[in-house]
Amino acid sequence: MADRRRINGPPGSTMPPVFEDDAGQPEIKNGKGRDRAPNVIRKMFLKTGVTPSASGSAYLEFAGSSNSGVSGLKLSCTVHGPRSLPRSSPFSPHIVLSAHVKYAPFATKQRRGYLRDPSERDLGTHLETALRGAIIADRWPKSGVDIIISIIEGDQDRETSKSQGDETWDMMNALSGCITVASAALADAGIDCVDTVAGGVAALVEDAGEGSTPRIVVDPIPSDHEKVLGACCIAYLPTRDEVTNLWFKGDLPASDAGLYTQLVENGIQASRNANRVLVECLGEATS
Amino acid sequence: MATETASTGAPPPSLTFTRPVFAKLSPHPYLLRTLSPDSPDQQPTRNNGRAPHQSRPIQINTSSLSQAHGSSLVRTGDTTVICGVRGELLPVTSIPQFRPHNGTLYDQDEDDEARARKELKDYDLLVPNIELATGCAPQFLPGVPPTTLAQTLSTRVYSLLHGTGVVDGRELRIWYTPETKKEDGDDMEVEGEEEEEEQKPEVVAYWVLYIDLLFVSFDGNPFDAAWAAVLAALRDTKLPFSRWDPDREMVVCRKGQDRKLSVRGLPVSCSAAVFLEKEHAEVGKEEGNRHWILLDPDRSEEGLCKEVITVVVDCSEGGTRVRGIEKQGGTVVGRELIRGFIGVAEGRWREVKEAMGN
Repeated sequence: MADRRRINGPPGSTMPPVFEDDAGQPEIKNGKGRDRAPNVIRKMFLKTGVTPSASGSAYLEFAGSSNSGVSGLKLSCTVHGPRSLPRSSPFSPHIVLSAHVKYAPFATKQRRGYLRDPSERDLGTHLETALRGAIIADRWPKSGVDIIISIIEGDQDRETSKSQGDETWDMMNALSGCITVASAALADAGIDCVDTVAGGVAALVEDAGEGSTPRIVVDPIPSDHEKVLGACCIAYLPTRDEVTNLWFKGDLPASDAGLYTQLVENGIQASRNANRVLVECLGEATS
Repeated sequence: MATETASTGAPPPSLTFTRPVFAKLSPHPYLLRTLSPDSPDQQPTRNNGRAPHQSRPIQINTSSLSQAHGSSLVRTGDTTVICGVRGELLPVTSIPQFRPHNGTLYDQDEDDEARARKELKDYDLLVPNIELATGCAPQFLPGVPPTTLAQTLSTRVYSLLHGTGVVDGRELRIWYTPETKKEDGDDMEVEGEEEEEEQKPEVVAYWVLYIDLLFVSFDGNPFDAAWAAVLAALRDTKLPFSRWDPDREMVVCRKGQDRKLSVRGLPVSCSAAVFLEKEHAEVGKEEGNRHWILLDPDRSEEGLCKEVITVVVDCSEGGTRVRGIEKQGGTVVGRELIRGFIGVAEGRWREVKEAMGN
């Protein structure tokens, strides 16, 4: 049933524009491919305090790719709390986290609705697990904190209108951004954490062209590569050398155990790089 | 007393609080005090340091989002709103009560304009929605249905969009002229009359503009910020060139031939709240109850004022045209005050125009 609390538009279904050159000939990758070294993450911009009325807030933006049309991820995060739980909720000896991730309707190629879809809920659960390991939860019994992330723009290639199953890989990048930005917002809100947690993604990719062998890259942009074989997103606490959330997806040979370890190690490396930006940003904010 | 039990070294001799604490504890008397200074040579100021008729500077950025066809970011003080406009196609076959159009592509008369306006409304081609549940203020948390405020704001933007007619419905039509099968020159002449009939262009689809607004930060006066964002995003909107493909029976677009949407006029909305000296005065007995008109109220002031007035003015065609007046919650603002307020709105119009550029 249509949502009567919103303006729904025409009753008939509308279609996103279809472009002439999409049909028929196969999608031509815009050629250039990845322009960074395999172990270098994209440049990012992080700023805290974008929402003065919230307890803590942060904004994160990744630089776009050299391929035109690929925009960087843009995220805004607000943290409300810690505040007392409503009377109706049961006793909790530690802080109750609730993480909420929502794509803006204009964030992706397909227009998103206002109701959260399962993939967004999934992102929320992963984010919650990643942060729970970092927060010193027993300092606030009987209280709750809300972490709300709006994905203002996802990093999808605008030029390729044909979806190539990239969404699953895009979710990995989105999650790593969410972890980093939420960590900054938590620090801005003054909620005690054991360490700053940051997200990192590593992927096993196959490039276009004859005779190319699969290789491991960090912070992949799916449209830069011919095929993504597997990816993992890691939330990592650098000073404690702890992984709080590990999310692995893909199709890898089970025989090669070294490949998994390598992917995880690269993910940790990406997370360390992101953490450096995070710590620098928080240092600037406090000084 | 409560303060003496606090373990802060030497207890203060009297009950003294800092200004922000007072502002939080008893906001109404505090605002009243700052608005009515002791000596006449002091200017009345508000808690936020502004004069009553001073609005927050407005800052507008456009085209920062790449997935949307048009976008804008508007900042006034601590209120930040992002607007994205996205066009989608609605073929006439999926409009339930579609009445075929008997105009032609080249009609430029008044009739056609009125018809286009009716089409906009009948087929619901403009879809504005405002999302407040982004944690932009502590009272707006996600996981609940849209609040009354969000619903009212969406509806107000919707009716103002249709009322002011900033979007020309004719630009959202997609035309197609059926091709006649030319096989022989002789046949043409025989069936000349019929051919003429068939070649008439017809509307095959419409663009639907989804206008989505996301509040990143909320600090009062949401409507003015939202409307400025809608306007800036519409002015920034470029729709791809589109045509009907009879073989595939669908509309196809072409890259690199975007057409800018033309926006008629520049209606700017300007809001103010009325602050009364006595908080709980009886309705209709405002004599002797002093009042102040606070332009562009922030979140704390909105909580203290019942009466709010919004005026939409457009000065882009020479003189000032009032495109809408909305007033609710009190009886202070009468005819004279509204007339004076329109002058204030003109000043706001110039500020917004400058911020929009060109």
